[in-house]
This record gives sequence, structure tokens and C-alpha cells, in this order.
Amino acid sequence: MLPNFNNPRVYVSLLSLLILLALPLAVQSPFVYHLAIQVCVFAGLAAAWNIVGGFAGQLSLGHAVFYGIGSYTAGLLVAKFGISPWIGMFVGAALSMVAATIIAYPTLRLRGPFFSLATIAFLEVARLLVIYMGSWTGGSAGLNVPLQIGLPWMIFREKSAYLFVAFGFLVVTLWVSWLVRHSRFGFYLIAVREREDAARAVGVNAVRVKIAAAVISAALTSFIGSFHAMYLTFVEPSAAFSLEMSIQIAMFALIGGLGTVAGPVIGTVMVLPVAELARGWLSAFGNGTHGFVYGMLLVVTVLFIPRGLVGHLGKSAQRLIDRLPSRRTDVKTNTTLAQKTSPARHQGKPVLKAEGLYKRFGGLQATNDVSITLHAGEILGVIGPNGAGKTTVFNQLSGFIRPDQGTVSVLTEDGQWITPTSPETFARAGVGRTFQVVQPFAGLSVMENIMLGAFMHTSDKAQAKAIAIEVAEITDLTTLLDTEARGLTVGGMKRLEVARALATRPRVLLLDEVLAGLNPSDVVRAIEMIRRIRDAGVSVLMIEHLMQATMALSDRIIVIHLGRVLKEGQPADVVNDPEVIQAYLGKGYVHAQAA
Amino acid sequence: MRSLGATVSIFIQLLLNGLLLGGAYAIVSIGLTLIFGVVRVVNFAHGEFLMIGMYAVWLLAQHFGLHPYVSALLVALLLFVLGASMQRFIIQPLLSADPHIQVFATIGVSTALLNLALMVFGADVRKADVVFGTESLMVGPLTLVSGQLITFVVALVVAAGMHLFLQRTYTGRAFRALAQNRMAAALMGVNVNSTYVLAFGIGAGLVGLASGLLAVQYPVFPTVGQYFVLTAFVIVVLGGMGSLPGAVIGSLFIGLIDSLAGFYIGPDLKEVVYFLIFLAILIVRPTGLFGLGRGSE
Repeated sequence: MLPNFNNPRVYVSLLSLLILLALPLAVQSPFVYHLAIQVCVFAGLAAAWNIVGGFAGQLSLGHAVFYGIGSYTAGLLVAKFGISPWIGMFVGAALSMVAATIIAYPTLRLRGPFFSLATIAFLEVARLLVIYMGSWTGGSAGLNVPLQIGLPWMIFREKSAYLFVAFGFLVVTLWVSWLVRHSRFGFYLIAVREREDAARAVGVNAVRVKIAAAVISAALTSFIGSFHAMYLTFVEPSAAFSLEMSIQIAMFALIGGLGTVAGPVIGTVMVLPVAELARGWLSAFGNGTHGFVYGMLLVVTVLFIPRGLVGHLGKSAQRLIDRLPSRRTDVKTNTTLAQKTSPARHQGKPVLKAEGLYKRFGGLQATNDVSITLHAGEILGVIGPNGAGKTTVFNQLSGFIRPDQGTVSVLTEDGQWITPTSPETFARAGVGRTFQVVQPFAGLSVMENIMLGAFMHTSDKAQAKAIAIEVAEITDLTTLLDTEARGLTVGGMKRLEVARALATRPRVLLLDEVLAGLNPSDVVRAIEMIRRIRDAGVSVLMIEHLMQATMALSDRIIVIHLGRVLKEGQPADVVNDPEVIQAYLGKGYVHAQAA
Repeated sequence: MRSLGATVSIFIQLLLNGLLLGGAYAIVSIGLTLIFGVVRVVNFAHGEFLMIGMYAVWLLAQHFGLHPYVSALLVALLLFVLGASMQRFIIQPLLSADPHIQVFATIGVSTALLNLALMVFGADVRKADVVFGTESLMVGPLTLVSGQLITFVVALVVAAGMHLFLQRTYTGRAFRALAQNRMAAALMGVNVNSTYVLAFGIGAGLVGLASGLLAVQYPVFPTVGQYFVLTAFVIVVLGGMGSLPGAVIGSLFIGLIDSLAGFYIGPDLKEVVYFLIFLAILIVRPTGLFGLGRGSE
């Protein structure tokens, strides 16, 4: 729950953060106090936004909605009912969480600018409604917070008191952000951001993960909104639900570095004081100076340091910091993979059954009455000419496509047959899969990629790491564990696909052309790997083009042609079947052979 | 109690107002949808282009006594250059970057321009002082302003012209090819970068034309662009992102909703109505109301 304070990265960050508190207390100038409070507020807002905008990669430009709800709820509860903002802020947060769910659920599948536009629209609707309901919100004229001074009312005579409270909110927000980043949930967010399909294949419920991120972020934003209303003692719709503020928040996070814990704070500290000072110095030019500075900085940032200050300079800074003394206590955890199905127990019994699958795409009958049974401990090869419908069948076996007719059922650990309906439920039922076009989480290390699979059964990072190391052994990736996935060879990426699927501890593994495009020595390694996997008790169904390899590996072969099962049997029988030869090579070849 | 005849004539007047307002929205939206359709960038600075154009028109009217309809052509040229430069120097280096980086880039330009106007012109509302284009015309029981009619007609003519340009000319085909598949178009010999610069320039130039037409009816202030562009985004999504006919139909549709909802539901809520429609379209039918777009990508 807490970072390791002996780690120099942690104590340096915390000490730097304390400057935000120490400097104004030392200087004792009202302007510096105001600046520090604003920095705490906006750094907190940016850090909260970053959970959605950075970790989950959804560019919300309507985040002021939650700030506004927090401001208005706390403000109205004080003004109308005399309820303390310390209570009001929780009511506001609860409302914001509800609002976040309502906004997030329908907009989940929107991408990039469309998601941003939708969030702007929600912001506009909220602002217009608050103005419309002027009889109790004060309308566009705004709402004055009654000036009751004292801790219960979050309104103080001393600026220093505000600073302490603002700093407290910032620390809480950063702590939550740190927790998210370093938990299984954070891994899942990044996985969904990078490749939603691959994430679902390792059992991540993308919808739930995204909504959870929105809800957490909304609550934090709302808390800070409540505090800020008390600090300003005034709330008005155009400021509380402002697009300009939503953009500023996102901008601070971008300049500091999206998807990092420290980035939003660093961005705010670097930019906000500069813009505030510019406003003071250049006030002769009238309003707009700080906005102009913001706009120009944003353009310069995206052109020259799109990954932000932390993204571009973070590594060198970390190296410097790592030289500082530390007392690392390496936590060794004993983990056992255990609970693998022993190969002997179910040997030969069915573990996966597809019955009468039909799937039509427009005029194309892609799957036409396909039934497949996979037995425990066997390697089943699925072959067929290009366009035969192999991958469509495969996607139905893993829940990525729902068949028009027919069922796919899986034997669970405790001997029950179930029929999962989505990729993540298939994954959780013990069906792992790889993708024909490899789907690595390119920015994560090989270790982290595999850990994502392991997280399906454990939320403990150390345990996930142990599983990853074990799986890397089977898949020949041990020496590459610290490499970024984007740096792997084709063969490495294919093995990584398998490793990630294996880390979910599947009882059935579906391999989609893992041998395709490999060089001969990689093919040999991959074949050995598949054998090892089977010997570890996993039943394997593989789609493959490489005939020789499939013949050598498979216990049984199914030939699919024109969406139907053409032939099923022992490798030797299938390969000599005239119908199969005809499907692959055409009628002419058969005739020529006969002649 | 209003008589039936009065009720009907109010309704017809509202329809007329809505369609004419739709014309104004159309002239702003055409450029936005063109830029989105070809370059695949949502230009959040589009409203600020309009604002700059309107200030330019106002300055030309104040200092040289040029009628906005005349200066519209000059301003269109000015904005062509502005748009082309933005594509060349800001968007082009980011073409292969993440979409969210492109969003930030256009938002940065938008914020900088808006605040620049605030610094230079202040927050005051300015309006070009003209006669032609502001006369009221009476057609039976109906009233309309001549400038609205002119804007409406020009919007339709420009939309038709752009449509012909896209269908009939080599450059227009290059635009459409790029819109469908950048890589394949490049392989067919389309110069991607210069075509993008041209498309962005034309999109911005069209909004320059719009600023001349709108400056006759509407005053100019630093945030005038935001007022129009949020509506333009609604329209462009409604009509199917990147579709020219969709943008025109969407404009007329939103114009009608604006006029009818403003009267029958209340002026405070008319924007709520079309933002809700916008959200519903984005969520339920991301290809636009008429299925002409590609919003789901």
C-alpha cells in the first residue's frame, strides 16, 4: 500500500514535493502562497485526470464536469443546508462517480478525438443545465459560499492553512495515482490502452477497467473541486464547467508526461507559475497573456517533447537519483505454480467442444456447420487453404466472434462444462490464445508482457513475476526478460504471444500460426516449445500453414475448406486424402496425377 | 389565445429562420468536414480561424471601408495561407504520431489564437457597420434578413462547387483517395504532404469566406469561434465525419432544431437539445445520421 521509502526515487520525489510546502512558508508572501495553493490544486487535478487520460489513454476534455460537480455540491450544501464541506465533498464525489459511470459507459468504444468531443459535449450539457436550474444553483451569476471561518467550513483566515489542506489533497491524489500505477489494475489499464484485444485475451474485462479508471479519477477531481470552491468562496458555471480548465488540466499532464505518476506534478510546477508570472508582467497587453503562453507551450510540447518532460528526461534523472544511497530490501517470495492439471488425469477426455458452428459475413458463409472436439493432452492441428475460414473458427473458439448458431463449451477445472461468451470469460475458463498478427504490448518489457497474463490468477506483483520467470523458461525468453517487447525479433514476438497466453495457466491453448514467418532455426525452437507445453499438461489446438511441422507435431488433424470440416484424422491419412489434395492444389493437379 | 392562422405563420417563420441559420452553420462546417475527411485531423482551431477571419473583415471595413462581402475573398486567401502553414509546420510533423497528440496540437493553436485576440483586441464586441446585407425583407407575413439569404445561397453554391471539385478534378480525386487510404494513395503517385497542405488550406479558406458572410450579421469577439465551432462539430458528426452532403444536411437540421427548440422548449435549453442529439449520434450511430461518415474508426 505504501512505496518503499528507502528507495532513492521515492524519497527524492517526496522531498521535492515538500518544497511546495516549505518555500511559501519561508517566503511568507501572499502571492507565493496563492501560487503554491494553485499549483497543489492543479497538480492534483492533472494527476487525477492522468488516471483516465494517461494510464487509460482516453483523452477527456470534459474533466471540469467532475470539478464542477464537486464545487457545486459542496457549495450548495454549505449555502442551503449548512452542511460542512468535509461531508459535502464526499457527497460531491459520490455524485461525480455516478456521473462518471453514466459518461464512461456509452463513450467507451469511441476513440481519439471522438471520445474528446463526447466529453466536451457532456461538459457543455452540464454547464447549460446548471445555468438553467438557476433557481437553486444561482444560475450564470454564480453562487457565493457563506464566509464561516474555521476548520469545519474549510475557510481560513491564514493562507498557510489553505496551503496545508491543498497539499493534503495533492498527496492523497498522488498516493492513489501511485497505487494505480503499481497495481495489477494499472497494468490492466496500460494493456487496454495499448491493445484492447490482447488484453481481453488474457482475461481483462476492458469495459470494467475503463469505467473503474473514470470513476476513481472523477472522485479525486471532485474532492479537489470541493476544496477549490471553499478557497475561492465563489462558484460560477462558466468557471466551474469550463472547457478552458479541462484543457489546462490535460495540458499540464501532457507537458509533464502522460501515464507517469510524477509527470502531472512536474508539468504543473513548470508551467503554471510561468504563466501566472507572465500574466503579471505582461498585464499591459490585457487579458489572455497566460492563455497565449499555454497555447504556445502546448504546440511546442507536442512538436518537440511529445512524451513530456518525464518521458524524455526521466530516464537520465532516474539514473542520477539511483546513485543515492538506498537500503533495498529484496523481497523474496516463494511461489509455486501448482494446481496444473496433471496430464494423466483427464488424458483423452474432451476439454473443448465446438458444436455446429455457423457464421455468416454478409454474403460469405465463413463457417458452415463446424464441430471440433479437443481432447486432453493432445495436439490438434487445424489446416486448410487460404480463406478456408480457419481464423474465423479460431475467433469463435476464443470468444472474439460470436457464432450465429452453435455453441462452444469448455471443461472447467472442477469438471463442469460451461459456455463462455466473451474473450475474457473464455480466458478465465482456461482457454488461452495467441494472435496470428502478433499483439505485443510494445512499450512494456517482456517480463511485464508475461506478467499481464499471470495477473489473471494473482493480484500480487511478486507472484506474477515468479510466474513470468517460470513461463519464460518454457518459451525460451529468459535472457530477454528485460528487453522492451518492440525490440524482439519475429520469432521472439511469436514466443512472447505464447508466453503471455501460458501465463494465464490455460488448460487449453489455441495457437494461431505461431510458426508462420519464422526462420528455420526459430521453427525448430518453436516446435520444441509446443511439445514442452503439451508435456506440461496443456491441450493444444494449432492453426498452421507449415505442413511438415504440423504433421510432425499433431496427434490429430482437421482440414477446413470453404468454411466446412473437410476431413478429420491421423496426419498420415489426412495428407494422402484425395479430397484434401484437391482442396489445396485444385482439380487440375488431381487429374494430372491420375493421367 | 393565438388564432390558428397566427400559429401556423409563426411555425413557418420558425422553419424559415431555422433553414437560414442552417445556411450560416453550413458555410462554417464545410471546411471543417473537408479537413477531417482528407487529413483525418479534428481541427479544434477551426473556430479561431473563423474568429481571425471576422476580425480581418472588421479591420478592412473600419480602415478601408471594404464591404465584408468584398473582403471575404481577400480573407479567404489569408486563411488559406494560415491553414496551409498550420498543416505544413504543425500537423505534418505529427502525421504518424498518436491521435491524441494531434488533438493537443490543434487545441494548442486554438488556445494561443484565442488568447492572442484577447490580448490584441480585448474582450469588446465589435461589428462592421454595413447596410447591404442587413435589410429586412417582407415576403407576405414572413420576414427575413437579406444577408441571411445571401449566406444561405452562397453556402449551397460552395457546397455544390466543392462536391463537383471532389468528383471531377484530379486534385479532388486525390483528396478522396487520401481520405480512404493514405498509403495506397501515395503508392498511386499522390503527393501526400502537398495534397494535405492544399486540403487544409482550402478548408481554412472556406472558413475565411464564411467569416465575410457572417460578419454582416454577427459581431466579432475573441470567443466567437467557440460559439460556432461547437455547433459545427455537432453538425459534422451528425452528417457523418468527412461527408460534404452530410454537413449541409446536418447544418439545416441543427438550424431547424435551434429555431424550433429555442421557441417551443426555451432558448436556454436549445443547445442542450442538440448536444444530446450529438451524444446520441456519437454513441449509437458513429457513422452519422445518414451513414455517410467514418466516425466509428
